[in-house]
Amino acid sequence: MVATGLLDHPFKEAYASKAGALPGATHAWVDGLRQTARALLNTAGLPGPKTEAFIFTPVSDLAKIPFIPAASADDVDVRDVPLNVPRIAGASRIVLVNGVLNAALSDNIAVEGLRVESLKQVLARDTLSVKPLLGGLAASASLPLVALNTAYMADGLVIRAGKNFAGAMLHVISIGAAGAEPVAFHPRNLVALEPGAQLTLIETHVGLPGQNYLTNPVTEISLAENARLKRYVSVAEDDDAFHFATTSVALSAHSTFNAFHAGLGGGKVRQEVRAAFLGTGSSAIVNGVYALSGKQHHDFTTAMDHAVPHTTSSQLVKGVVDGQSRAVFQGRVLVDRDAQKTDARQLHKAMFLAKGPAVDCKPELEIFADDVQCAHGAATGELDENHLFYLMARGIDRDTARALLVSGFLEDVLESIGDEQVREAFSALVQGWLKRRAMRRAA
Amino acid sequence: MIEIKNLHVSVQGKEILKGISLSINAGEVHAIMGPNGTGKSTLSNVIAGREGYEITQGSVTFAGQDLLAMEPDARARAGVFLAFQYPVEIPGVSTSAFLKTAINAKRRAEGLKEIDAMEFLKLVKAKTKALGIADDMIKRPLNVGFSGGEKKRAEVLQMTLLEPKFAVLDETDSGLDIDALKVVSDGVNALRGPERAFLVITHYQRLLNYIVPDHVHVMTGGRIVASGGRELALELEANGYAKYMAAA
Ligand SMILES: Nc1ncnc2c1ncn2[C@@H]1O[C@H](COP(=O)(O)OP(=O)(O)OP(=O)(O)O)[C@@H](O)[C@H]1O
Ligand SMILES: [Mg+2]
Repeated sequence: MVATGLLDHPFKEAYASKAGALPGATHAWVDGLRQTARALLNTAGLPGPKTEAFIFTPVSDLAKIPFIPAASADDVDVRDVPLNVPRIAGASRIVLVNGVLNAALSDNIAVEGLRVESLKQVLARDTLSVKPLLGGLAASASLPLVALNTAYMADGLVIRAGKNFAGAMLHVISIGAAGAEPVAFHPRNLVALEPGAQLTLIETHVGLPGQNYLTNPVTEISLAENARLKRYVSVAEDDDAFHFATTSVALSAHSTFNAFHAGLGGGKVRQEVRAAFLGTGSSAIVNGVYALSGKQHHDFTTAMDHAVPHTTSSQLVKGVVDGQSRAVFQGRVLVDRDAQKTDARQLHKAMFLAKGPAVDCKPELEIFADDVQCAHGAATGELDENHLFYLMARGIDRDTARALLVSGFLEDVLESIGDEQVREAFSALVQGWLKRRAMRRAA
Repeated sequence: MIEIKNLHVSVQGKEILKGISLSINAGEVHAIMGPNGTGKSTLSNVIAGREGYEITQGSVTFAGQDLLAMEPDARARAGVFLAFQYPVEIPGVSTSAFLKTAINAKRRAEGLKEIDAMEFLKLVKAKTKALGIADDMIKRPLNVGFSGGEKKRAEVLQMTLLEPKFAVLDETDSGLDIDALKVVSDGVNALRGPERAFLVITHYQRLLNYIVPDHVHVMTGGRIVASGGRELALELEANGYAKYMAAA
């Protein structure tokens, strides 16, 4: 049998020669994780359209691109953070170039109770403190992209907030920058909040223009009792870039996870967020917007796994699609037999701005408890004619009215961002997208 | 100011308006009363330019122009305003951004420069206060979560800000409490003047105690079946539409 995927490919070859140099290689348990992941990839390859979870977003075609590990691209020199990255007041900047911490561009973080380190550094030291996290929340066996990450992870961030840490705002900026050859990087991030700790994480993923790269970050987040994490992610990669991000969150009792994801560009993007509600009273909000043009592909996949009683998940995702773009929303909600009094809500709405795009929406509800409140909805359509008429009846011309409504359609979700400066920054990103669209149309 | 002549309108092949003729001069206030489903809102929507109505006969002329040939936004900029019976909720579009855009659309059409932020705030503040609208309402998304009465006040707020030449108020009084009815009526009366005209659609003659009409029309079955002065409204209140239904 000829295995598809990495096996016979430079992607794999390039890494194979580096395997010994990957961080943690000398630790048996880290090496074990990698070996398992590699074995899984070698047998299954990268998921194609026949793999259920990847029907709409097959990634097997990646094997055709001769990616080299990002660390081998010596010709990459990033001296500045791109201008389209918002400056968020009060947030410390942490800059990663091709998944590797760039100290020169990053702020110094010296806050009592908060530790921010590179995974590489941590693995060179005591691997035990990260052992429960690394591979503990995101399993290679069921998630092929996690397997890919685990096999080749070279660096990432380890962010830990101590007990009752009162809160800080971190802005992680990931810059993709290929050299002459396409590069791939697989950042592995670990976030742990101890009981009662609070943290706000902003993540901005961008790329230098005209670059062919693959970023495949995996973020494992552990929230102890009463911990509260807010995470705001925006992805605006270059049109030639691939971005597949998997986040796995484990929620202990009364912890909250408040996430917002914006998908505003990239050749092929998948943002997958998986939350496991393991303690009663835990709750998560996973909202998002996307705006796609050209031939962009964006996949927002969520999995809310309610395992215990009295937990809450709420998802509102709205997107607009233009050009020949393709949007995917897959929302899985699982309510275990024991998870009585679960409150799970999910709503996805997509708006067509042109005739060319396609939207695939697949809600999946698996409910095994009887005393639950679950609501899900999906709507795909064009701009509401009644809304348009209302605005025009006030003297607003058709184009302006349409622009106002499209903007409002997305702003509606942005309003859920509690931090004002973050909301404004994300709103500016969305408005920027709308402006570029208006300019394209005018041209 | 507005001249409706023998207007026949069908919706999905069904004739709703069966030959409406109505002429309203500048400075006048006309009221239309009529049972549910008679075509009052249909008439309003046709005047404002909503799609989906087939005009099979007749004409509407506004200030000498063929209104039916104009797009809804052009009608509005020319001075036509409809206070909707059921204003739509538009999530994500803030009331203030909407108001500003609408005001500027009108100003641009009049060759004026855009209103500056301070001037806008001052103007809106004065008008909201007069209409008993809470300050924070205009920060909220347009009509979203507004109570029935708040929506109606917001319609009148838009009208006072846009200062139309001809306004149709489609059941603006329904959903208003007794005090609000007075406040909103005062808002309308403040706009009354020799250069403006109003068409007030209502089910209750009580409104007409506040906004005193020059003419009252009874509409049933898509036709105007009787016209008269204020006393007609009182008579309707006492006796209902039975007599007119027979006529239709
Ligand atoms: N889009 C439509 N499709 C089908 N029928 C319609 C449509 N719009 C209006 N109608 C019908 O036209 C008739 C007149 O409706 P209209 O809303 O004009 O009545 P109205 O006089 O305003 O009533 P009310 O006093 O209840 O507001 C009704 O029978 C209504 O069902
Ligand atoms: Mg009506």
